[in-house]
Amino acid sequence: MLRLLRTTTFRFTIVYVVVFAVAVALLGYLFYQSTFGEVSKQTDAILDQEIQVLAEVFSGEGAGVLRRVVRERAAWRDDGLYMLIGAPSGAVLSGNLSALPPEALSAGEGFFNFTFERPRLDAAGREIGTETREARGKIRRFKASPESETSFLVFVARDISTRESLRKRSQSLMTRIGAATIGLGIIMGLIFSRTLLMRVDSVNRTARAIRGGDLSKRIAVTGVNDEIDNLAVNLNAMLDQIERLMGGMREVSDNIAHDLRSPLNRIRGRLNEALKAGPSEKEEALRATLEDAEGMITTFNALLSIARIESGEGAGQMEAVDLVAIAQEMVELYEPAAQDAGFVLQLKTAPAPPVRGSRALISQALANLLDNALKYAVGGTTIRIDIRKGSDNRVLLSVLDDGPGVPENERDSVLKRFVRLEQSRTTPGSGLGLSLVSAIARAHRGSISLGDSSSNPERRGLKVTIAVPSFDRG
Amino acid sequence: MRILVVEDDHEAAAHVSKGLREAGHVVDHALDGEVGFNMAGAGDYDAYVIDRMLPKMDGVTLLSRRRADGDETPALFLSALGEVDDRVKGFKAGGDDYLVKPYAFPELLARVEALGRRRTQAPAAVTTRYAVADLEIDVITRTVRRAGKKIDLQPREFRLLEYLMRHAGQVVTRTMLLENVWEYHFDPQTNVIDVHISRLRSKIDKDFDKPLLKTIRGAGYTIDDAE
Repeated sequence: MLRLLRTTTFRFTIVYVVVFAVAVALLGYLFYQSTFGEVSKQTDAILDQEIQVLAEVFSGEGAGVLRRVVRERAAWRDDGLYMLIGAPSGAVLSGNLSALPPEALSAGEGFFNFTFERPRLDAAGREIGTETREARGKIRRFKASPESETSFLVFVARDISTRESLRKRSQSLMTRIGAATIGLGIIMGLIFSRTLLMRVDSVNRTARAIRGGDLSKRIAVTGVNDEIDNLAVNLNAMLDQIERLMGGMREVSDNIAHDLRSPLNRIRGRLNEALKAGPSEKEEALRATLEDAEGMITTFNALLSIARIESGEGAGQMEAVDLVAIAQEMVELYEPAAQDAGFVLQLKTAPAPPVRGSRALISQALANLLDNALKYAVGGTTIRIDIRKGSDNRVLLSVLDDGPGVPENERDSVLKRFVRLEQSRTTPGSGLGLSLVSAIARAHRGSISLGDSSSNPERRGLKVTIAVPSFDRG
Repeated sequence: MRILVVEDDHEAAAHVSKGLREAGHVVDHALDGEVGFNMAGAGDYDAYVIDRMLPKMDGVTLLSRRRADGDETPALFLSALGEVDDRVKGFKAGGDDYLVKPYAFPELLARVEALGRRRTQAPAAVTTRYAVADLEIDVITRTVRRAGKKIDLQPREFRLLEYLMRHAGQVVTRTMLLENVWEYHFDPQTNVIDVHISRLRSKIDKDFDKPLLKTIRGAGYTIDDAE
């Protein structure tokens, strides 16, 4: 509960409720002043006016006429109340009230409120008991002359029950609205805070779980698609990325441990031997060690490149690149080496749109495929690069050779890191070439596939195809 | 050449300094970016070798501040970061070359010497003709002559020869050739460069007594007049 009260939402709600309550109170006050206050002033003015008129009647026409006028007025069936009392006798001379209210005696010349009983009438005008009414009145003493002994008390009042009850009802209504506003505001504040707190808590729980080592935890997305959902989706995407990077990192370290341990062991063994051997063997050992070290550096670089490409880093700028132009340059680079190795290097292209990619990466992928073909298409004669438009807005870049090919059941595994086919163990290579190509294809939102290059069962050859989305698809 | 090496890995720095000294250079060594910056300001060096990641001041900052002070000493960045973006950052900061760790020492030596050479040649006059012994090339007319006899080269072969001639007497590594002649930044697993070199060699050396294009074992190639 205490946490709930400390939330930002709750604090905002409280500020909001206070501001709103003040606004409502101000509004209520203005409303009250301009309605009841005004009416009340008018009543007072009317009472003053009536006393004024009666005073003029008295001074002009005398007590008799005053008495008649009061009687006539009292007979009107409106909310006016009148009494004319003779002083000092105290006899009620005329009027429609049975007795002077006790408040009148202490009020002096000012206005006062009082209650009185009056018969209640039904629709037909019959008496059906009494009711208590509220009224506001004023009393004034009239004297015939300053020295005269006799005087009259004129009492004028208005029945204000209807207005008063309306006023009281409005007042209590406004108080209740005010209370309800504040109460509801606080309740809503608590509910909002609780809802938000629960959702923030779910983020916190996930974060704690992840800190605790469970990288697979994700923040629940409620599906209402609000800003917190957006936040959750973004954080989840970030977590996916982190998990992928971590996974890549772990895989790389596993692979490094796996692949670099054997040459290190080899180096240690060889150096041990060399310590006991003669000068010429020593030199031979050093040379072999140097070669091992260079191989390790190559492996290391390849692993780092793969990791970087897979993490989406190092792809450089993705721009519209023409695969045909890249292939032409690559053919130019590889042609002499291919000729020396006894191959004809061909480039066969059909019109194809540019792809969104990195020249550096695609060149590297193509170089790796050509390296592979030169190394493993033993007994082959032709290496062909084939570029054409595929279905689904993809551009296909294939490298075909007429070597022994890769058996169908081993095609998936050669794409994995460090996997080398049994028959190629003796040729140099890290087993990372195709993984790198595969990583490059994925970095271009493309795919890699292996197949036969010919239907000849004796000599299937290998066809490696990279399918990359064309540029205009975005 | 006077070379300043700024590298925080003590052992790597010692190894580089020793190698450079053995190759006949004078080497100073700084272990962090600030010291490196001050030494660069105080000494008159022919080349800088700067590690990108350094304590106190990173290599890129160091060099951009030197460049801002008008220091045009050629600089080579050493870095564990080798991707395109990193290279671009390095070059933007005023770096002249970029070498990714781990590297082979001959590669570093060849590149540093190429940088120093660039400096001594200076841009006073743009050289358009190069000659080594009786081999001459003209970059403008794109002609090659050996002993006065014209030799026909493919455009790429010409660029290869041009690069070697520009760095005549120096060792040029395969990676340097791949980067500068073909503009690729990866290492082919096969001997593609060697084959290009042997083609070129068969055209410029084969019919003549004295071979000029030589293979330096474990490092690369050089073109020179030496015996």
